Amino acid sequence: MEPEQLTELALGSALAAGAGYADVRWVREETEAVTVTDDRVDDLEAEESRGVGVRALVDGRWGFAASAALDPGSVHDLGRRAVEIARAAGRLPGAPVRLAPVEPLVASWATPVESDPFAVPLAERVGLLRAACEAQRSVPGLTHARATVDLWRRRTLFWSSEGARIDQTVTQTGGGIEAIAVGDGDLQQRSWPNSFRGQFVAGGWEAVLAADLVGNAQRVAAEAVELLAAPELPERTTTVILDGGQLALQVHESVGHPLELDRILGTEASYAGTSFVRPEDRGRLRYGSEAMTVTVDSTTPGGLGTAGFDDEGVPAQEAPLVTGGVVEGFLTSRETAAGLGVASNGTMRADGWGNLPLIRMTNVNLAPGQGTLDELVADTADGLLLSLNRSWSIDDRRVNFQFGVEAAWEITGGRLGRLYKNVTYDGRTTDLWSSLDAVCGPAAWTVWGVPNCGKGQPYQNAHVSHGVAPARFREVHVGVGG
Amino acid sequence: MTRLGGGRLLELAEAALGIDGVDDVEALVVRQAGGLTRFASSHIHQSTWREDLSVRARVVVGGNRVGTATVHDLEPAAVRAAAQRAGEVARTMPPDPGYPGMPGPAAYPQAGRYDQATAAADPGTRAGLVAGVVRRLPAGVSAAGACETRELEVAVANTRGVRAEGATTAAAFSILADAGSGTGWAEATEPALADLDVAALGERAARKAVDGREPRALDPGSYPVVLEPNAVAVMVQWLGWLGFGAKAYDEGRSFLVGRLGQRVCSPLVTIVDDATAAGAIGVGFDFEGVPKRRVTLIDEGVAASLVYDFRSAVQHGVEATGHGLPAPSSEGAYPLHLALLPGATPKAELVAGLDRGLLVTRFHYTNLVNLMETTITGMTRDGTFWVEDGQVRGAVRNLRFTQSILDALSAVRAVGAETEMASEDGYGGVRAPALAIDRFSFSSATTF
Repeated sequence: MEPEQLTELALGSALAAGAGYADVRWVREETEAVTVTDDRVDDLEAEESRGVGVRALVDGRWGFAASAALDPGSVHDLGRRAVEIARAAGRLPGAPVRLAPVEPLVASWATPVESDPFAVPLAERVGLLRAACEAQRSVPGLTHARATVDLWRRRTLFWSSEGARIDQTVTQTGGGIEAIAVGDGDLQQRSWPNSFRGQFVAGGWEAVLAADLVGNAQRVAAEAVELLAAPELPERTTTVILDGGQLALQVHESVGHPLELDRILGTEASYAGTSFVRPEDRGRLRYGSEAMTVTVDSTTPGGLGTAGFDDEGVPAQEAPLVTGGVVEGFLTSRETAAGLGVASNGTMRADGWGNLPLIRMTNVNLAPGQGTLDELVADTADGLLLSLNRSWSIDDRRVNFQFGVEAAWEITGGRLGRLYKNVTYDGRTTDLWSSLDAVCGPAAWTVWGVPNCGKGQPYQNAHVSHGVAPARFREVHVGVGG
Repeated sequence: MTRLGGGRLLELAEAALGIDGVDDVEALVVRQAGGLTRFASSHIHQSTWREDLSVRARVVVGGNRVGTATVHDLEPAAVRAAAQRAGEVARTMPPDPGYPGMPGPAAYPQAGRYDQATAAADPGTRAGLVAGVVRRLPAGVSAAGACETRELEVAVANTRGVRAEGATTAAAFSILADAGSGTGWAEATEPALADLDVAALGERAARKAVDGREPRALDPGSYPVVLEPNAVAVMVQWLGWLGFGAKAYDEGRSFLVGRLGQRVCSPLVTIVDDATAAGAIGVGFDFEGVPKRRVTLIDEGVAASLVYDFRSAVQHGVEATGHGLPAPSSEGAYPLHLALLPGATPKAELVAGLDRGLLVTRFHYTNLVNLMETTITGMTRDGTFWVEDGQVRGAVRNLRFTQSILDALSAVRAVGAETEMASEDGYGGVRAPALAIDRFSFSSATTF
């Protein structure tokens, strides 16, 4: 059967079994990942996954069933099974789910792609990665060179019992290099354009070419080797400038997650955790300085959270989260938005066909300020420039955090100086954001992909992005004390 | 679709082997199915079931050009198409001079356990267990958590004669009890749902939550601790990620580089990887069809051995230990069934033996700080208590630790007698006891 027929079959089955509301997603997902280490292809994955997921609301309770078995009998059974699961949830009393209204749309959408990455011959991709490794290995002292390319495409048919009929295809591409230097019981790494397999964008092969992996390889390798001989960062409190890659993860962990309304309401309590933010903090809580304005925007060009619609059929949109340092909104679903008496801002996303949609970041962006990174450094008398994430950790209410970065350069009198290794910084969320005093301008603003955001039970991965420009924070504790 | 069983997974794997014009083919077939009933604020809010089926073909052409392709479709035609695609990929790949070939036929040990009742557990059964626990909570205490049942079937076949097929089940129950200013937590994973004492888990979590009310602030610093089994399991899991595999060791990115044969922690600590142990979750072979063997990684404090996949075993001239991931893998061999072996001291006595220090229930969001030093950071969560003269003297606010795992394991004073298993992926898990540790470094504190 065609995907549309399977989707209709599952939807009809759920309604016939007693669902008051149901939606069905047929999803086809393709991934291709290549890793070259030194001179050989170290890992190679090419995967295609298809399946159907049915979400049914019965007497105000959700049930969800999904399968990769796509024969008509199995797909029909999914609707019945989702209703059975929803009915079982009634064993405990609780307020019934209500859904904020959304106009059911018939629409299609696709990521703008200049160059289809799946059409680039595998040999060409491997050739680029081998060239990037070879250029790294020309630097004396380097131990290992790694280069990666990741391609991802997902087509989703979303059918709802309210009449939505949406067909959308999202294409994302990532690539990067990682230089590893080992010696004297130490291991240092330097990456480009970002750590953890590079930079990921919604788009095509043009994104990999723009990263110029080969052209940056020797510099990155030389920095990894230099780090081996660099001193450890001493513990102190100082001014820090976070580069884009690191700041993206700071926004992710200490702004995006705490403002997810499901966490705030406690429905992620046992696994990912909750939030120090309360529902009544909207419009009241001072989260950061006036330089801090953050939005959630699923229309951001190039963002991994960019699509035409979320997995409840809510159109992509931009919504305020923090304006001038004050909390103005949350990431919402139809269910959580109904509790606030507002419309969903479209952040329900599922990891493939096999998972229930959850509130997930799409693109959570820090608005740019002014000036360039060079000007910001020149304006800093004493401090550190911290570059690219190496480690992250934050408590289950998103208050106490500690991050590690690949490298830090001392800033003295407005000039970059000595390089430090094994750099960490830590603090509390609202203290850090209250110390924000400058964000670089639009020319330095980049949308950074984070393709490994985890949440939910069963575990789900999400691809999200953060548009940021380098920013400066005062009075930050660096190095580990205790 | 219910369990395939009866050799049907192997039949599907064999469908991939007959393609023409290639040197060797390997097919890995996996079926996973399971349901999860999730609750929060003492009501069931997310309940799911899913079934996934996948075939991964690895094809070799020209002696040492390797390609792979994976599809989620168990029709024989789709399986053959995956193998054809893997062959096309292989033809475009550069030669791999270190390609070791594929393993041959072997006899497999018994591992894991397939419990029919667990595989067949319906949403009503899981919801009933959750409801029973929630209804017994004390007044003023609410709960969040999950009850999960799952089954896993795996088959591997290759053109060198490997024919491996196995199945296992797992059941897990976790509960976070919330008593206002205090939270408590308990979790268990076992091969069969009937092996879980969910009522006891609920009582333990609720007691911790009530005892955890009104936590007081404690200055960061180095304290003696008793870590409960789940916190210990997290540290053992990190050691698995940080370099028990031969490839990481060979590439110089293992904490064991230069330390094999040397004392790395207390003689009270022995860490093994053993899929064949009673209560383990898994099957008796790895993703290349090599039999899983028990490997002692740290033997009474001495770094004893590594785990090997087929490639690293051939390179080292040793026998593969059955720890291969789907090949080729940039990670190399990986231990999926780690266990820190229990000692003789009941957990209650570990606490009773603590003059002044902390009892830690659980870690949260751990991450690596320094690989070679095995230093990780993370938070305590859901039950952190001050102990004085062997008695719990109230709760403290959660703390961040930044601590070398090997340093902590070097300061072990006593090892608990009871073990618990932590497992998230269905392929294995980490089994660990509680540990009494003389020094554990807390670097900062949070507000709750």
